[in-house]
Amino acid sequence: MAEKLLRVHRLRRIYVWELPVRIYHWINVLVLLVLIVTGFYIGNPLALMSGKEASEVYTMGWFRFLHFAAAYIFFFNFVFRIYWGFAGNKYANWKQFIPTTKTFWKELKTVLKMDILLMKGNKEEREHLTIGHNALAGLTYFGTFLAFLLQCLTGFGLYASMASWWFPKLFAWVPFVLGGDILTRQIHHWTMWFFILFAVIHVYLVFYHDYVEGRGEISSMGGGWKFIEEDYFEKNKPHTPNPEK
Amino acid sequence: MSKHHHSQEKWFEQPTYYDEIRFKGYSRRDFMKFASMMAAFIGLETSAIGQVAKAMETKPRLPVIWLHFQECTCCSESFIRSSHPIVADILLDKISLDYSETLMAASGTQAEAALKNTLEKYKGQYILCIEGSVPVGADGVYCMIGGKTSMQILEEVSEHAAAVIAWGSCASNGCVQSAKPNPTKATPIHKLVKGKPVIKVPGCPPIGEVMAGVIVHYLTFGTIPELDRLGRPKAFYSKRVHDTCYRRPFYDAGLFVESFDDENAKKGYCLYKVGCKGPTTYNACGVMKWNEGTSYPIQSGHPCIGCSEENYWDNGRLYERASSFAGFGIESDADTLGKYALGATGVALAGHAILTNLNKRKDINTLTAEGEAGDVDVIE
Amino acid sequence: MGKRIVVDPITRIEGHLRIEADIENGKIKDAYSSGTMVRLIEEILKGRDPRDAWAYVGRVCGVCTSTHSLTSVRTVEDALDITIPANAELVRNIMHCTLYMHDHVVHFYHLHAMDWVDVVNALKADPKKTSELAQSLSHWPKSSPGYFSDIQARIGKFVASGQLGIFSNGYWGHPAYKLPPEVNLIGLAHYLEALEWQKEIVKIHAIFGGKNPHPNYLVGGMACSIGLDDVSGINAERLAMVDRLLTEGKQFIEQVYIPDLMAIASFYKDWGAIGGGLGNYLVYGDLPTKGIRDTASFKFPSGAILGKDISKVYDVDLKKDDEVQEFIKHSWYEYSGGDDKGLHPWKGESKINYTGPKPPFEHLDVKTNIHTLKHQGGMAMPWK
Ligand code: HEM
Ligand code: HEM
Ligand code: SF4
Ligand code: SF4
Repeated sequence: MAEKLLRVHRLRRIYVWELPVRIYHWINVLVLLVLIVTGFYIGNPLALMSGKEASEVYTMGWFRFLHFAAAYIFFFNFVFRIYWGFAGNKYANWKQFIPTTKTFWKELKTVLKMDILLMKGNKEEREHLTIGHNALAGLTYFGTFLAFLLQCLTGFGLYASMASWWFPKLFAWVPFVLGGDILTRQIHHWTMWFFILFAVIHVYLVFYHDYVEGRGEISSMGGGWKFIEEDYFEKNKPHTPNPEK
Repeated sequence: MSKHHHSQEKWFEQPTYYDEIRFKGYSRRDFMKFASMMAAFIGLETSAIGQVAKAMETKPRLPVIWLHFQECTCCSESFIRSSHPIVADILLDKISLDYSETLMAASGTQAEAALKNTLEKYKGQYILCIEGSVPVGADGVYCMIGGKTSMQILEEVSEHAAAVIAWGSCASNGCVQSAKPNPTKATPIHKLVKGKPVIKVPGCPPIGEVMAGVIVHYLTFGTIPELDRLGRPKAFYSKRVHDTCYRRPFYDAGLFVESFDDENAKKGYCLYKVGCKGPTTYNACGVMKWNEGTSYPIQSGHPCIGCSEENYWDNGRLYERASSFAGFGIESDADTLGKYALGATGVALAGHAILTNLNKRKDINTLTAEGEAGDVDVIE
Repeated sequence: MGKRIVVDPITRIEGHLRIEADIENGKIKDAYSSGTMVRLIEEILKGRDPRDAWAYVGRVCGVCTSTHSLTSVRTVEDALDITIPANAELVRNIMHCTLYMHDHVVHFYHLHAMDWVDVVNALKADPKKTSELAQSLSHWPKSSPGYFSDIQARIGKFVASGQLGIFSNGYWGHPAYKLPPEVNLIGLAHYLEALEWQKEIVKIHAIFGGKNPHPNYLVGGMACSIGLDDVSGINAERLAMVDRLLTEGKQFIEQVYIPDLMAIASFYKDWGAIGGGLGNYLVYGDLPTKGIRDTASFKFPSGAILGKDISKVYDVDLKKDDEVQEFIKHSWYEYSGGDDKGLHPWKGESKINYTGPKPPFEHLDVKTNIHTLKHQGGMAMPWK
């Protein structure tokens, strides 16, 4: 019993995801789900062979309304997250997403070896520890943000010609740059698949980390806390990929 | 013919529309009626009718040169389908179509002399209309007229044009001959003519009255019509076919034609699912319709093929909604590829999960043991 | 050696054509024609969805618009063994006949007439005599002296303006124009009338195919639904319109086009002896009533006539390898199996190989080889 007790770690609770990040995250999840479902419908509506009159139903109209309503929420939520990249804590900081330092690249390699390719790794690699996003996750989210941007540009670009508000009209240039609505719409459609694939992999990896690290990864997006072993914490001087100096 | 040598002044001494219309035996009242019809056609306030009338009273016939390059002559054909103004009136009273390979009487050297004559006499005043794209492959030999390449001719004739009108999709975006692999390197006009307004009037062909309308606008106001960012007249290309389509309520309702021979097709439901490109196509079909308002493709049961949009030949298939990918064979589209990618991801993740349980067994066991140990500790 | 004359552009045709002719003692001794524009739609079509092919192929020509599309959908249906509904066959036939009517009139007036009708000479006509002449030719109501004098005055004014537009630099006054002023005036008046007429008859294409030029076709049938009980279908109103358009179209053809054709031809009888080619003619046939494979059901039968001998019509089988072949020996193309060979269109190749003079040029190199760029499948296509 005594030896066993030795292996029980003292855990340090760290507040990683502030409330705004958590709210952002779940709004984003919800709204993306709506956008994907309605987007699928818009792209390839179901067969309705009923004898209904057009005046009785408004199916496509509702799906489009939901899509555009969700699109606005999605967009402003996204803009808020960018703002929070400057205003929030170090885990939320924009530097977590963009590789600017050697440490970032080094960690990227480590994560790739240890968590993706599941290699043995050396001692240092085995004991590496990140509290916020790891470098690979950060970089992936950066890619995701770019895809968000693309989706907003193409989405609002398409919306511009049917909008009456000035805001979507600001995007009217997008289809012109792309050479027309046809291609704009196709890009919009293709990008959707990026989100679907991202979501699947992302959720899997969240579970994976929770499972192999035992630090409360899944629940961290709920309460904001992660639980890090005290002795690891002391030994490894855990860092964010871009430590604040 | 030799009455007017060089002459900007002389050109303006010529009879005006008003003179001509009076000459044809119409009264001033008839003339004002015509002017207000034109004004309504261009979408002007009533206050502008005077301006239209005045323009027609004071301006002589506009010299127009119409060149043909890589094309099928459907634009010329569509032009002569115009019902208001009808083409005989355009040709006899409004413009002076000094060169047109489809309609002009002269051939060969005589035709070329007529061209040269206008180039010299109306330097800087003539409108250049171009039907067709210019093949720039193989030094231009894929389109030659009078022993010269279309590249050479375009350069010569566009130099002193007052404005250039690119008729149809060929001249505006290269149309079918520029579809992959574009073997002749067919190039639209705006990429070759610089430093001059190029009015794009896309469509395969454009609606006849749209073509006539662009010319009438120039005649009336002496300026080119307001263009959008792509260089198309806003009057005719600022709305999507989808936004002016009478089947739109069926789209909003979610009632679609599933195949061309189903009940829904008979009921005139929306053609979206059989490939209608109306939602991505800017053209006047839904409003002006074709052939004097007789019908338009969607009204006759066929989806819009997007003929006025850049690259419409390569942006997906005619009868499919889903976006196809070039290079993956005609059966593949974004959703099929997406589903495969999703499947592959699933397999990869399952593999990863199994490997995780194998490779990281020790770590996981340690965590479990620690958890159990902790549990024991608490109970004790 | 005589003199070489070049006519390029040949106007009032679709496409780009060049003719060079050797003149000796005032007569053409030899002539060479060359199509000088190419787009290679055959190459662009490769790998596309066969259902879409009609749209690509249709863009070969916008003057005889719809024929290539019709041929394309038939080809795909033949390849996939699709039988189209009877109504679709009727609709296609009506559309094809519409083109037939439209094309003949437009070719006669707007494309050919200026080779026979002297526009300027029409100004010398006596409107009264013109009216009498016109009325003796047909019952066409627009044949009053006032009508012709209005046209004359309009053209007179036009010519006086000095801006001759499409009539600039014509061969006006040339002795080869043989019509008296009155016939010229009739021809000119009907040129203008036909210009208005032609935009009417094609409304039939708009009704069934949505637009003209380039109406829409569909593999497997036609997209327009026959829906007698729906406002979106081909219903009684649409059919009434088709009926009116066909009736009026027929009237014009019977009362204006054919009488004009006869009247003008009577002054150019000797032209009948010129040209005519080799005297061999090939007709694929059209207007099927029991599907495209049943050639016996065609309202326009198919066949070949050799040596102008119309007493004998030979059967043709377009699918036979040796009956229809494309030759490129005199084209700017090459065949992988040697340029002397002829290939059935199914086995055709479209590899371009320009060996002509470098533009700008004066003359084609006709001594060694006379070449032409293929246009609208216009490679030389001998039968048998
Ligand atoms: C980021 C997540 C989004 C996803 C996954 C998504 C997905 C889709 C999909 C699949 C389509 C159908 C495309 C087609 O096949 O034709 C579509 C259409 C559209 N989306 Fe999005 N979209 C997203 C965001 C947005 C945003 C931010 C906007 C901005 C307003 C937007 C506006 C539109 C518009 C205007 C259409 C065309 C609808 C129509 O014309 O009826 N989308 N979307
Ligand atoms: C059960 C579902 C989900 C859970 C438990 C979850 C959990 C988490 C956690 C723990 C993080 C931070 C960890 C890290 O940096 O790797 C995170 C970040 C993120 N997740 Fe999720 N996630 C879920 C679904 C999704 C979905 C469906 C999406 C969108 C498609 C998504 C998008 C994101 C994004 C963009 C971030 C980065 C957040 C930021 O820093 O701005 N998540 N998620
Ligand atoms: S038929 Fe085409 S243009 Fe008309 S509503 Fe449907 S999708 Fe839009
Ligand atoms: S409906 Fe579409 S394809 Fe048809 S003519 Fe109009 S723009 Fe072109």
